[in-house]
Amino acid sequence: MSTGIIILIILLVIAGFVVFIYNQLIALIEAVRNNQKQIDVQLDRRFKVFESLINVVKKYMDYEQTTLKDVVALRNQAQQAKASGDEQTRIAAENKISQIASNLNLVFEQYPDLKANQNCMQLQEEIVSTENKLAYAKQSYNDSIENYNATKKSFFTSMVVSIFKSKLDFDFPYWQLSEAKIAEQESYTVKL
Amino acid sequence: MPQSINSFSQSTTDWRAVIRSNHRKTFLVIGLFILIYFTIGFLVDMYIYMERFPQVLPANIFHALITGQIFPLATLILLGVAVISLLITFSFHNQLMLMGTEYREITPATAQSTAEQQLYNVVEEMKIAAGLNYMPRVYLIEADYMNAFASGYSEKSAMVAITRGLMQKLNRSELQAVMAHELSHIRHLDIKLTLMASVLANLMVMVLDMLFYQAIFSKRRSDERGNALLTVIIILRYLLPIINILLLLYLSRTREYMADAGCVQLTRDNHPLASALLKINNDHQENHAIYNAEYQKTPHENVRREAYIFDPVQAGIERTGSLTDMFSTHPSLKDRLAALGFQYEPK
Repeated sequence: MSTGIIILIILLVIAGFVVFIYNQLIALIEAVRNNQKQIDVQLDRRFKVFESLINVVKKYMDYEQTTLKDVVALRNQAQQAKASGDEQTRIAAENKISQIASNLNLVFEQYPDLKANQNCMQLQEEIVSTENKLAYAKQSYNDSIENYNATKKSFFTSMVVSIFKSKLDFDFPYWQLSEAKIAEQESYTVKL
Repeated sequence: MPQSINSFSQSTTDWRAVIRSNHRKTFLVIGLFILIYFTIGFLVDMYIYMERFPQVLPANIFHALITGQIFPLATLILLGVAVISLLITFSFHNQLMLMGTEYREITPATAQSTAEQQLYNVVEEMKIAAGLNYMPRVYLIEADYMNAFASGYSEKSAMVAITRGLMQKLNRSELQAVMAHELSHIRHLDIKLTLMASVLANLMVMVLDMLFYQAIFSKRRSDERGNALLTVIIILRYLLPIINILLLLYLSRTREYMADAGCVQLTRDNHPLASALLKINNDHQENHAIYNAEYQKTPHENVRREAYIFDPVQAGIERTGSLTDMFSTHPSLKDRLAALGFQYEPK
């Protein structure tokens, strides 16, 4: 009788433990997914911000009209690549948009009057903040993957994961640059 | 202390290790607090049952209580009181923290200058890095001294407040570091934790006080068996407040180290926070007299002291003469910089 109760209690504790770990991992997986989409949200935001920024800048200076068209074209390229699952082309296109952003900042530097202008200071702040938000979204995505992987691979949890492999076991890739890109960025220096 | 952070020897900091070790310390302190609270409740139960059954030995009552043969009513009532007081404190805390200051909420719509827009942007960037689901409210306090604090019992009700002096005197990355420190407090649920500890500490001192006067002035004949309990009550009554203060300070310092490490985690850079802390410290030294007057002029400054990124008492401001002034709620600047990876050896 009493041994039956003890076995029942042990089974209940194990079941509770499994449910706890299951729920914890589901929360971590959804956090990774949300953070992954956060990168998309920030890319989308950046496109809209820059589009309106360039429109504003045009009023202040004779900035090449083609820049806006370039951004739109690159954006389309990125979106097509995303639809067809071609991450390489997508990242390349997004990186080019980043370059246009730094060019915009350079243009500001060339016009001292403009630099002191209140509106332009706001624009510069907006560009810096937009690029930061994108970088932090990527960092946050990688952090949530670290969190998930560390939990998933730890002892006891890994046993639960092996029972529910299809629901709990995912291999999320970290956000990173390609080998060629890293080599290129490593040797990059500012030429003034 | 030197003026510039560049006169320090610089290295990196292992923020993961800092957070882990301070996490353990917090568990210890909170565990101790809960244990002491239950002990006090237990003491009240002992006292009540000894009054009710004068012929039973104290050892037997003690045994009956821990084995659950008699109901520990006082312990449970005290637990209920603690929960209710905590809920009340949590719901009024945000208003309480801003009490006495002249403040304004900053949103993209209400930002009046680029600096204010930048402040909001910086908080939003840190919110993304921290992966918070809600944007904390941002308040600007109209004051010249440099300080900032965070409040809120959950992510949803979180807020950060910053003085105009801090916003104007720090550059963008330093401002970001300060905001990352504050958001780390929110992320680590520090406000909830320190509030819980201080509410428990206050409650247990109150209960012990009531028990103390009850025991001393009750018209009970002084018999052998009551004396032991009375001695325990008297010793605890004078010892507990000191233990509480030490534990609360230890907890507060631990959480400061953790928030500093959390800032490095969010910005992946230890330099801006170190240079911001040094700037705030030097600024407090330079304008000592002015800030002293300004801090004194602001009512209810003591409710914010523990939450500030920089403890004004450390700069010799705002001495109230109470016992807590002897110890700072924050680790010393030198220790904080050392934990961030900045060592200073005077030549």
